[in-house]
Amino acid sequence: MAFEPKIIGFLCNWCSYTGADLAGVSRIKSAPNVRIIRTMCSGRVDPAFILKAFQLGADGVIVMGCHLGDCHYQEGNYKTIRRLPFLRRLVKGFGIDPRRLRLEWVSASEGDKFALLVNEMTEEIRSLGPLKLSVHHEIQQPVAHH
Amino acid sequence: MVTINIDGKSVEVLEETTILKAAEQAGVWIPTMCHSEHLEPYGVCRLCSVEVVRGKRSRIVTACNFPVRGGMTIHTNSKKVQWLRQVIMELMLSRWPRVRVVKEMAERLAVKEPRFPSLERDEAEDACILCGMCVNMCNDVVKAGVLGFAHSGIKREVVLPFDERSDSCIVCGACAHVCPTGHIKVILEDYRGKKPEFTLGPKTPIYVPTLQAVPRVPVIDAESCIHFETGGCEICAKVCEPNAIDYSMQDEIVEIEVGQVLVSTGFDLFDASAMAQYGYGRLDNVYSSLEFESILNSTGPTGGKIVMKSGKEPKAVGIIHCIGSRDTNHHAYCSRVCCMYALKFAHLVRDRTDAAIYQFYIDMRAFGKGYEEFYNRLLDEGVTMIRGKAAEVVEGCWQGNGEPSLKIRCEDTLIGKFREVPVDMVVLCNAIEPRRDSDAVRRLFSISKSPDGFFLERHPKLDPTSTATEGVFIAGCAQGPKDIPDTVAQAGSAAARILSVIAKGEVEIEPVRAMVQEEYCSGCKICNNLCPYIAIEFLEEKKVSHVNEALCKGCGTCVAACPSSAMTGHGFTDAQILAELDGLMI
Amino acid sequence: MAYRTYLMVCAGTGCVANQSMKIKDKLESEIRKRGLQDEVSVVTTGCNGFCAVGPLMVVQPDGIFYQLLKETDIPFLVEEHFVKGRLVKELLYTPPREKAPIPKMSDIPFFADQTLIVLRNRGLINPENIDEYIARGGYQALAKVLTLMTPDQVIQEIKASGLRGRGGGGFPTGIKWETCKNVPSDTHYVICNADEGDPGAFMDRSTIESDPHAVIEGMLIGAYAIGSREGYVYIRNEYPIALERLQVAIKQAREYGLLGQKIFNKDFDFEIRIVRGAGAFVCGESTALMASIEGRPGEPRAKYVHTVERGLWDKPTCLNNVETWANVPQIIEKGAGWFSSIGTGDVTSDAWGGSKGTKVFSLAGKVNNTGLIEVPMGITLRKIIFDIGGGIKDGKKFKAVQTGGPSGGFIPESLLDLPVDYEELTKVGSMMGSGGMVVADENNCMVDMAKYFLAFTQAESCGKCVPCREGTKRMLDILEKITVGKGTEEDLVLLEELSNMVVESSLCALGGSAPNPVLTTLKYFREEYEAHVKDKHCPGHSCRELIQYIIDPELCLGKGHGCHVCAKNCPDGAIVGETKQVHTIDVMKCGKCGICYDVCKFDAIHIE
Repeated sequence: MAFEPKIIGFLCNWCSYTGADLAGVSRIKSAPNVRIIRTMCSGRVDPAFILKAFQLGADGVIVMGCHLGDCHYQEGNYKTIRRLPFLRRLVKGFGIDPRRLRLEWVSASEGDKFALLVNEMTEEIRSLGPLKLSVHHEIQQPVAHH
Repeated sequence: MVTINIDGKSVEVLEETTILKAAEQAGVWIPTMCHSEHLEPYGVCRLCSVEVVRGKRSRIVTACNFPVRGGMTIHTNSKKVQWLRQVIMELMLSRWPRVRVVKEMAERLAVKEPRFPSLERDEAEDACILCGMCVNMCNDVVKAGVLGFAHSGIKREVVLPFDERSDSCIVCGACAHVCPTGHIKVILEDYRGKKPEFTLGPKTPIYVPTLQAVPRVPVIDAESCIHFETGGCEICAKVCEPNAIDYSMQDEIVEIEVGQVLVSTGFDLFDASAMAQYGYGRLDNVYSSLEFESILNSTGPTGGKIVMKSGKEPKAVGIIHCIGSRDTNHHAYCSRVCCMYALKFAHLVRDRTDAAIYQFYIDMRAFGKGYEEFYNRLLDEGVTMIRGKAAEVVEGCWQGNGEPSLKIRCEDTLIGKFREVPVDMVVLCNAIEPRRDSDAVRRLFSISKSPDGFFLERHPKLDPTSTATEGVFIAGCAQGPKDIPDTVAQAGSAAARILSVIAKGEVEIEPVRAMVQEEYCSGCKICNNLCPYIAIEFLEEKKVSHVNEALCKGCGTCVAACPSSAMTGHGFTDAQILAELDGLMI
Repeated sequence: MAYRTYLMVCAGTGCVANQSMKIKDKLESEIRKRGLQDEVSVVTTGCNGFCAVGPLMVVQPDGIFYQLLKETDIPFLVEEHFVKGRLVKELLYTPPREKAPIPKMSDIPFFADQTLIVLRNRGLINPENIDEYIARGGYQALAKVLTLMTPDQVIQEIKASGLRGRGGGGFPTGIKWETCKNVPSDTHYVICNADEGDPGAFMDRSTIESDPHAVIEGMLIGAYAIGSREGYVYIRNEYPIALERLQVAIKQAREYGLLGQKIFNKDFDFEIRIVRGAGAFVCGESTALMASIEGRPGEPRAKYVHTVERGLWDKPTCLNNVETWANVPQIIEKGAGWFSSIGTGDVTSDAWGGSKGTKVFSLAGKVNNTGLIEVPMGITLRKIIFDIGGGIKDGKKFKAVQTGGPSGGFIPESLLDLPVDYEELTKVGSMMGSGGMVVADENNCMVDMAKYFLAFTQAESCGKCVPCREGTKRMLDILEKITVGKGTEEDLVLLEELSNMVVESSLCALGGSAPNPVLTTLKYFREEYEAHVKDKHCPGHSCRELIQYIIDPELCLGKGHGCHVCAKNCPDGAIVGETKQVHTIDVMKCGKCGICYDVCKFDAIHIE
């Protein structure tokens, strides 16, 4: 059976999530491999979530937000654009191919771009193969007071 | 004040008044040909010559520039003066036999046939009579310094510098305005300053922005107004009776605090010069829809008469639909209103002229109340409907009458043939497109845009007038092309929504908010500077951060940034998201 | 260094054009050849005035007058006169139709009857050497004014002298200065009008070429009187020699501290700037001249506010002609009483009551002695033309004299005893003008002459006002018609009416005086006009379309024996005839060039 990548997508509520909605409403076909978690803003995406996703078995993670300058909360995506590239360098140290982590901007009207990204990423991860992370011991849950 | 005697009448005038002005006061008419109240007296036509007697001396002087002195006796119509005027008039009439102002003056002075032969070079009706008013206007009042006289004696003529188009000419039209014969034509090649919308013909720097604007108050475009460049002119202020013009006014930026905003910034008209095949901007008598609207308007440049650039009525008019709309090269959407206004144009052309009317359409979208019935009425009025998008507009000639005209080439899909339709005037139905600055506007209010570029509504069917952002509403063509009834409906809807919120007196907001768990807060203050709404403050006494719940919009950026996980985001807590992750990975 | 002999070689424009500078060089080389360079000095001077006989030279201190010199004459002349001491008779002046020459300049009638005030230094000094001007008493008047007189006293002196504007207007100069001075302003200007546009007039040119310092000194005195610190000389561009001499003179005056600041150590600054004209007659008119200095087009403006109140750059400006300025130093030096004793009338109660002093005239046309003369006011026209002018050339009959240039009028023989006087000349329809005087004889057509002057003013019209621009054109068209034989009686009426209208309603004096030649010829020579119109005949034998050249058969055969010379020279091949036979002119082919008339030695051809 062909390897079906498991990709987690963090989408911001206002732009990329609506864009994904538009893709659906427009009946654009796209690969089913991206599983979506909605946050209000891409700036909410804590790097810990991404690492946890990889740890839990995701083969790839894609973070989508509003275009720069279009963030519903003014500057949230500027924080994202600082965090993500740094994180990409970090995961390399963990033995994760940085191509498995992507940051893209999708606006509410870009349904077709969303579909394109989904398809593209799916194929890329498929060609990269499943992520084999060696987990030696149970990683403690991060201290979550909430 | 001095007392003088004009034709037997005693008049008291200020010293240094000219005889002409004094005569005006006394109700005596003196002929002038080179005089204008806007200008300093020039005194070259000499028609205003009068006889002045002071003591024993009598002399002939020009009334327009001779200052009166006390005790002067002035004869404005003595035999000598009459004779002088007669000969001068004969000279003028023989040189300019067909110029209207010359003929009228000759008649008034009872000069019939001049005793001189024509010089056979100034026979035109709009010949220049060398009165110098245009030159003086340009040099002394407007101070642009473009016009001047060249050559001496009988060869004298008014010229542009080196007979070339001058870049210093600001196309103010003052020279054409003051020219008594119509010799000066203002040809507009490009606009200085702000390009006017839908205005045909020269636009003056002071203008009313739109036809039937309310209030009907003009504005001054400082970029093209010569006053701001040279300090001269000020003619508008001089003629304004209530003294309403203030050149020192500056733009003001006013700050108003509001809770809700309705964005209805309208649309821009597609610029048809992008479609070179229709000849807009290149061929004469090809008009955009709004330009044609201004022609039809009784306050527009033609006073509501449908005329071509030459001033004559067209014999045939072609109206072309879908210019820029329903077009994969420009806008794929339909602009919705064009079919109906195109029919309106056809109806008005039929009403006001005898022109033949041709309508080139793809589909006839008569969707509204009474629309289809109106379409049928047009068919009865004898408008020729050609189903087929026009391919191009070219220059052509009516058979026989020699006047340059236009031809519309199209495919008539109903009869399955190519057609070439000769017309005099073409009206284009330009697409409605989003405003050119819509991106900048929408970012101010965090409004997204739909694929066609118009502002994105919250839901196309169920909520067309709100946006994703609370408190920001849209209406009208800013949201998408629509006609007046629909715009009014949307406007009403948005206004009602706004009023209902105001009437309630309280707002329901989403509970998505951030909150500081003070036990865990280390006071690092990282979150303080992150917040775009400045909703996080640092409490000095407790040495912890605190979120103002009213200001916080719940983006969660601070939550992600908090190193001690003291910041929590209601509705999107870490636990919740991690739980989602868990669920997804099964 | 004292030389025993000075050779004053005339270097005015006329003589220079006739190679007088070559003659000067030849003189110098011949003198050096004979080792006489320490005894005989060659000096170039300004115009002597007797232009008909140039190039000329005056030997001083004897006052011997040599004329019509050629370079080839010089070696013989130097040898004969300056080595051997014998006069060269062939080069002396002999009046026409007389045998004996007149060696001394002061005896020659042309010079004898002149009174030199403006031109007192002509031919006696090198105009490019300020020392010679000072040696002849120059700048003494300025010294007197700056040390002994107040500005008001200067003005009173000028007023008392009766000096009136020599540019043509004849306005009392003292009153002009006074009015200008009394206009309150921080800046006053003085201007010297050296535009001299009248065709054939060269009084101002000669004055500047001969004695530029006289003008400068005059302007200095005027500036002091009026309170001006800045002066302009507006000189026409077509006077290169005059311009150069003026520039040299100003430079030298500056070097001597006579121009600049604190002149004569007094609280008086004055500087002169030269502005060149650009070929427009109308720029001799004061308002057009000032416009030209300001850099605006040279067009006149209405003079209801005089230029003495608002002139150059709207400041009070006193504009005077070259000749007027040149009179001033002498008036100051010798006194108003001396000046007012010359001339006509009485100016003690009415400034316009007389014409005082002298006037420079340029005598031209059909007289024997053409040239530049300076005569006292009040001298009759007859004396000028027949005594000084030497009478009509070739023994022809006098017909008319035109005074005042294109703005003046024609005066017939009946009025020849008129004294030269502003008012007298104006009374008969002419004017003093700037001093041009053109003499016409029986072979001049008065209609043609009027047309000549009108063509000039019409071409020079600036075109601003309707009467001058349109009127002079129409007048010229009518005159054209008349001179080609197409004129009608109505044309004459119209011509006169047009002329009067143009005079009355033109904006400036160009238009106001352009019809004068036409009006005076219509007044005094109407029969000529009528001949042109009614009989299609030109009494002056001048208008081509109306004349015929006819060969007298008796003279042709009898005296000339059919010599055929005329036929050989005819460019139109219009003369028919064989040698030894009578010749006739075919009127259809004849182009009326007049060559046959000139070449026939037997006077067998006459004009009808």
